Amino acid sequence: MTAARRRAADGIDVPWRLLAILRQATNPMEEEDQRSTRGANQAMTVSAAISVEHLRKVYRVYEREAGLRAALRGLVQRHIQEVIGVDDLTFTIELGEIVGFLGPNGAGKTTTLKMLAGLLYPTTGTLQVLGHLPWRRERSFLRQIALVMGQRQQLIWDIPVSDSFELNRVIYRIPSAQYRQTLDELTDLLELAPLLQKPVRNLSLGERMKCEIAACLLHRPRVLFLDEPTIGLDVVMQRRIRDFVREYNRRTGATVLLTSHYMADVEALCRRVILIHHGKMLFDGELTRLIERFSPYKTIAVRLQEPANLRPYGEVIGQSEDRITLRVPKSAVARVTARLLTELPVIDLSVEDPPIEAVIEHIFTQEEVG
Amino acid sequence: MMRTYLRLLATFFRVSLLGELAYRANFWLQMVESLIELGTALALVSVVFTYTQSLNGWHASELLILIGTYFLIGGAINMVIMPGMSRLIEQVRLGTLDYLLTKPEEAQLLVSIQRLDIWKLLDLLLGLALLVAATIWHGSWPDPLQVLAFALTLLAGTAIVYSFVLFLATLSFWYVRVENILVIFESMYEAGRWPVDIYPGWLRATLTFIVPVAFAVTVPAEALTARLTWLALLGTLTLAALSLLVARLFWRFAIRSYSGASA
Repeated sequence: MTAARRRAADGIDVPWRLLAILRQATNPMEEEDQRSTRGANQAMTVSAAISVEHLRKVYRVYEREAGLRAALRGLVQRHIQEVIGVDDLTFTIELGEIVGFLGPNGAGKTTTLKMLAGLLYPTTGTLQVLGHLPWRRERSFLRQIALVMGQRQQLIWDIPVSDSFELNRVIYRIPSAQYRQTLDELTDLLELAPLLQKPVRNLSLGERMKCEIAACLLHRPRVLFLDEPTIGLDVVMQRRIRDFVREYNRRTGATVLLTSHYMADVEALCRRVILIHHGKMLFDGELTRLIERFSPYKTIAVRLQEPANLRPYGEVIGQSEDRITLRVPKSAVARVTARLLTELPVIDLSVEDPPIEAVIEHIFTQEEVG
Repeated sequence: MMRTYLRLLATFFRVSLLGELAYRANFWLQMVESLIELGTALALVSVVFTYTQSLNGWHASELLILIGTYFLIGGAINMVIMPGMSRLIEQVRLGTLDYLLTKPEEAQLLVSIQRLDIWKLLDLLLGLALLVAATIWHGSWPDPLQVLAFALTLLAGTAIVYSFVLFLATLSFWYVRVENILVIFESMYEAGRWPVDIYPGWLRATLTFIVPVAFAVTVPAEALTARLTWLALLGTLTLAALSLLVARLFWRFAIRSYSGASA
C-alpha cells in the first residue's frame, strides 16, 4: 500500500476508531477484562469447550398485580421481585461433545444458553466458552459460536433465503471460497437446493427451520447452542434435523449443547445429559445411568396362555389383549419374575427399563412434591 | 475497514430493496403520498403569502428552501433511521434481538442500518429538487461557505435526530411498548415545516431542545439563507457530538441491562 493510500484509509477510519475509543472510555473495565480474559486463556485446558462454575442468574422483575387500580398504582410505584433463573450450576463440556440439556419449561435452560452465548450477564459465578468470557461478546468469540432458537426466526420474511444468507456472509465477513464450500455442504446435507430462491414466507415450518439452521452455520461455528430446534416439526423433519446435527458434529467436530422437549432428539444425539429443574442441577452424566439412578422401577411385560389376575405381583400399568405390563420395584424384579414363571402359564416374559420420558417425568414430579 | 462497512450498508440496502420489490404497489402509494404531502405544504405557503410578503422575516422563496430541507432530511430520517428503530422495538418485544446481539458486529450499527424504507428516497429527491428550484427563484446563489455550513448543519441535524430517536427506541429495553413515542416524534417533526421562530416561545423551546426539530430543519435552512451565526453553527455541531455521545452511552447501558423477552 502506498503512503498516500494508507493515509486516506486512516482518515476514513477515524469515525470507527473514535467509536472504539468511546467504547473504551465508557467502559473503563474493558482493558482490564481483556487482560484477565487473556490470562484465563492461557490457564485454561485446551480440551474444555465450555466450563461453568457456580453459575447463578437472578432476574429482577417488576411485579404486576391484577386489576386496574393496582396497574395504575404500578405506574408510579413498582414492586421489584427477584426471580432465580439459574442457581449454582457447575459443569464442563469437552470439545466435540453433544450434550442434551433437559428440564421442564422455566427450568433455566434458555437462561443458561443465553449466558453461554453472551446475551446475559451472570449474576455470580464464572463461565467460559472456548476460553472467552461470553458476556464480553468479543468478535473473535461471536465468530465461533451460533445460537439457534426454534421459536424465533432471523431470516427476513419477504426476500429469498439465499439473500438472507448473503447478509450473514457479509456480517460474519466469510471469505467467498469458504462461503461457497460451506453453503454447498449445507445445501447438500439439508437438501436446501429447491428452497434457496424462495422467499421465506413461502416456506413450510420445517423448510424454514432447515434454512434457519443453515443460516446460523454459514460461519462454521465451533460451538453450537440449539434451543429446541425441532419444536413444532413433524416426525420426519425432526429426524432430518437430528441426523443433520449428528453429521455436522461428526464432520466439523463442533461442540453442541441442545435443549429439546422431544426425548427422541436427546436419545438419538446425546450420550450425556444435564438435567436441571428450578435452575438447579439434578443430574449430569450418561443417559443410561440416568435411568439406573432415578428409576426405582422396572417394567415386566408378560404374555399368558389364559387370563389371570396379576395384581398381587405388582402394579399393572398396561394391558393389551394378552400382553400385560407390570411395574415392579427394582429390588423385587428377580423375586417377582421367578414367582410369575412358576405360578402362571407364561408364554413370554421380558424385563425392561421404563421409557426415558417416564423416568424424567417421574423425577420432575417428585421434585415438585419434595 | 471502511470498505467492509460500506459493503455491509450496500448489502442491507440490497436486501431492503428486494423486500420492497416484493410489494411493488408500495412504490406507487408512496409516490402519491409524497406528492400529496408536498402539494399540501406548497399550497399552505402560497395561501400564507397571498396575505403577506414575509413571514417573520422569511420571504416565500426562503420558506420554500426550508420546505425543501424539511423533505430532504425527513426523507433521510424516514428512509434509514425510523425503520431501523421501529424494527428494534419489535425485536425487543419478540426476542429476536438476541440474534442480532450474537453477531460479531457492533450491535448499534446493525440496529441503525438494518432496515431501509427505500421508497422514502422519493421524499429525499423531491426535497432536493425543491431546494434547487427555490434557490433559483430566490435569485442569489449561496456562496461556498454557506453551502458548507448547510452541509454541516444538515449532518449535525441528522445526527441529533438520530441520537434522539435511538434514545427513545432504547427505552424499549425497559418499557416494552414505545412505538407510540415514535409516533409522537413523527407528528412533532411536522411542525418543522415552518421556521421555529414563528412559534410562541414555549413551543419554540420544545421544538428546539425537547424534540430537536429546530436543529434538523430550521438551522440548515438558516445556513442556506444567510441567517446562521457562527456561534449557532458551533453550538449545533457541539450539540450533535454531545447527543451522539449520550445516545451511545445510553445504548451501552441498555445492552448491559438487557435480559431478553423471556427467561
